[in-house]
Amino acid sequence: MRIRQLRALALRLAGLFRRKSLDRELALELESHLQMHTEDNLRSGMTPEEARRQALIKLGGLLPTAEQYRRQRGFPLIETLLKDLRYGMRRLARSPAFTAIALLSLALGIGANTAIFSLINTVVLRPLPVERPAEIVSLGNATGNRLFPTFSYPNYKDFRDRNDLFAGLVAYRFAPLSMSHDGVNERLWAYVVTGNYFEVLGVKAARGRLLGPEDDLQPGAHPVTVISYQCWQQRFGADPGVVGKSIVANGRSYTVIGVAAKGFFGTEIIAAPELWFPMTMQAEIEVGNSWLDKRGDENIFVIGRLKPNVTVAQAQAALTSIALELEREYPEVNEGKRVQLSPPGMMSGTMRAGILGFAGLLMLVVAFVLLLACTNLANLLLARAADRRKEIAVRLSLGASRARIVWQLMTESMLLAVGSGLLGLLLAYWLVNLAVALKPPVDVPLLIDLHIDYRVLLFTCLVSLATGLLFGLLPALQATKVDLLTALKDETSGAALRRSWLKSSLIVLQVALSLVLLVSGALMLRALQRAQALNLGFNPQNAVELSFDLRLQGYDKGRGLEFQKQLLEHVRALPGVEAAGIVDLAPVDLHFSRTPVFIEGQISERASNAPRAVSSRASPGYFRAMSTRLLRGRDFDERDDEKSPQVAIVNEAFARRFWPGQDPLGKRFAQGTADGPMVQVVGVVEDGKYATLNEESQPFVCRPMSQAFVGTNTVIVRTASDPQRMLALLRKEVQQLDPQMPLSGKMLVERLAMPLLPARIAASVLGSFGILALVLAAIGIYGVMSYTVSRRTHEIGIRVALGAQASDVLRLVIGQGMTLAMLGVVIGLSVALLVTRLMRSLLFGVSASDPLTYAGVAALLSAVALLACYIPARRATKIDPLVALRNE
Amino acid sequence: MSESASVWQGTLALMVLKTLEAMGPLHGYGIARRIEQTSGDLLSINYGTLYPALLKLEQEGYVSSEWGLSDNNRQAKYYKLTRAGRKQLARETLEWEKTTAILARFFAPAKES
Repeated sequence: MRIRQLRALALRLAGLFRRKSLDRELALELESHLQMHTEDNLRSGMTPEEARRQALIKLGGLLPTAEQYRRQRGFPLIETLLKDLRYGMRRLARSPAFTAIALLSLALGIGANTAIFSLINTVVLRPLPVERPAEIVSLGNATGNRLFPTFSYPNYKDFRDRNDLFAGLVAYRFAPLSMSHDGVNERLWAYVVTGNYFEVLGVKAARGRLLGPEDDLQPGAHPVTVISYQCWQQRFGADPGVVGKSIVANGRSYTVIGVAAKGFFGTEIIAAPELWFPMTMQAEIEVGNSWLDKRGDENIFVIGRLKPNVTVAQAQAALTSIALELEREYPEVNEGKRVQLSPPGMMSGTMRAGILGFAGLLMLVVAFVLLLACTNLANLLLARAADRRKEIAVRLSLGASRARIVWQLMTESMLLAVGSGLLGLLLAYWLVNLAVALKPPVDVPLLIDLHIDYRVLLFTCLVSLATGLLFGLLPALQATKVDLLTALKDETSGAALRRSWLKSSLIVLQVALSLVLLVSGALMLRALQRAQALNLGFNPQNAVELSFDLRLQGYDKGRGLEFQKQLLEHVRALPGVEAAGIVDLAPVDLHFSRTPVFIEGQISERASNAPRAVSSRASPGYFRAMSTRLLRGRDFDERDDEKSPQVAIVNEAFARRFWPGQDPLGKRFAQGTADGPMVQVVGVVEDGKYATLNEESQPFVCRPMSQAFVGTNTVIVRTASDPQRMLALLRKEVQQLDPQMPLSGKMLVERLAMPLLPARIAASVLGSFGILALVLAAIGIYGVMSYTVSRRTHEIGIRVALGAQASDVLRLVIGQGMTLAMLGVVIGLSVALLVTRLMRSLLFGVSASDPLTYAGVAALLSAVALLACYIPARRATKIDPLVALRNE
Repeated sequence: MSESASVWQGTLALMVLKTLEAMGPLHGYGIARRIEQTSGDLLSINYGTLYPALLKLEQEGYVSSEWGLSDNNRQAKYYKLTRAGRKQLARETLEWEKTTAILARFFAPAKES
């Protein structure tokens, strides 16, 4: 029986698609029926006409029969829906301008929402690519209210071995790598990981085997590595014989023992390593820098897998008590240190707040714009529905149910929503690809793996449907709430006026929303402008930089200094070079570290509380190459070597902070630890920006490379000639000295791209959405005012007939529109004051309540609103009272 | 569709099946006439209602249809009982007899008194 019903259902469904031929067949069948009946009737003596008539009567009419038959054949409900869809499409096609505006504005809104959601989806919602990712937590190193992502290896071992709530704690650290294989030199990033890393995470091998505890026993004794699937595909051409192959990494040979599973990108969401080495090899990977037994060197990220049924709170409590033990046992380095657990993948939670804040802000903005598009569309639909009032009234009075008509109107809105959803998805796809192509200018293997997955699709689907409901339902309900009598008599003013509160509040909302967006965008633009004029402490123009790592190439201090000296000599001899110098890290760069400073003759505090200064190391000539002004004293020179007194150059902020009102030259201090060697100030340079563009001036200290050598080097060359050519020459010089050296070079001015990136993104996103919102608001005001004028034709006609002048009419219409616009401006201004506080950190010192910006945007918006009101108002002045009154 | 209408449809379907069993392949008009005759002209149906009923039976697979020539050489659509239709007819007949037997017991004592 069940099967029979299914069969009937299937046939009925099939019936939907071949209606025409089925209808023809039915007509034939009924015709043959009638003819047979007519013949029988003729035989019983009727006249031909009567015979046919009786046969028809007996049949019960041709049309009703066919209708009944069709009802059995298909599905009336679906057929109605299809009919509504066709009707809706026809109506939309008939007003292409409306349809285009609706589709475009909604598609922009939905597309932007989808793109931002896919970002959040990737960064926040997507789990790490490990087994049962919900059990993984990340350990943060908290001191007071500051959170650091890293721990020292000895502390890690104690946390690992003393707790019994974790199935395992693993540690890892990013390491830059220069790798050579098959005659290719490449610069890339790796992890050094503890032996339990893959086992605890439950990652499988795609080839060979992964690192295990047996590969992490003796320091320096395990020259093995695991490569990522992507690395295998891209750098080794998916070579099936890769396992067992030898590679050279940072000057030492390693054997590839396996390839990690496809899709495993390590344990941080934003940056993916390509190789994994045992942690016991860290001293070899980070040439000469050994920290495995140093409890004070906090270098490694720690994450762990909770045992089943252990809560985060329990684990937190257990780790805290271990932290207390460690504090008692090693007060020198562990004072005040606690553990804070957080979801993994975001540098132990240190980046979480920033990322969530940024993503949340973007989401808020795009939701704003979508809301705006919705209100605008609702407005246009209300105006359209007004044109159909008569039609709807006729249908209602003929007995159509209100639900039926609402359903039909909603079909139209849903068509728009679904169409826009599809367009929006395309747009989001394009935006996402654009974002992936625009890799931020940073020297880490950023993992920008934005993609449209099922969560994103679901999101878009829901947003589109909600959008359709939002802008469709209200106008549909309003449109069908017609007073039949007045609508049929074409009298409108009373009911129309009563309904206008809805449209009025939509206008106010639109103006307010676009004002908020425009103010935010304008503030960002002002901030960017301001950033151009910031005192950077160096001149980014007409200079190039080239980075390399001597340590990774196996240089020791002696050979390294010799290399630097030769390179600078060669470079300075090049034509067009004005100045050249070497520094470990050039500003502006987030990697700057701040070291404790202990001033001679001043009471020194414990290292963890001591004042800190941004610290750097440079060769003679570096400040001249950067065009940083030397205010007092001298630059480093050949006299400063290992045997001569230890010297430093500080900035003004350093001098002000530690020796206020005194001459800093000749003063001494220690760096790092209180009992470290004393360093003497020989020069003072101007203040600058070091880590970020919006930092306050802060103490900075620079030491000569010859006394404090470091392998990470950046050559800065200031030139009067073409910088691009200079960069090429510079490369050639380095390669002549060492053909194997991996290099990375760029224009010095490109350094500013990264610190300005968030502001640039915010300015362009807010600015473009703000302008879009402005256009939408203008369309919205124009639409509503035109509608109002057309509704009030009769009233205005009477006014004119009674002697009102054109100026009175203008004032009437514009007054009404501008009252709403002004209300929107006032509300928008107050909301903007609140919202813009969220972006203070991006403003580079521009006040979040900058009066100029607010006044400017408010004026712009008012002007646009005035224009949008003026056009319909002028039309109102052209109303001929005779025509308007005859219209009755 | 109201309750009585669906009862009527069920009854009509049964009559159609029975007619086809008795007469073999037959067109719609023929079935209608035959039902009227069998009922001794007590039953006067709107012929039009027959076609949706036939369509439903066909959708359920109890009858099949085919275009053919009538006695006076006219194109007509002939309906024919399928094997499933025969089975269904047997089932329905049994069901019907049971129902009438039960109803008969209700009415029998009234006649006696």
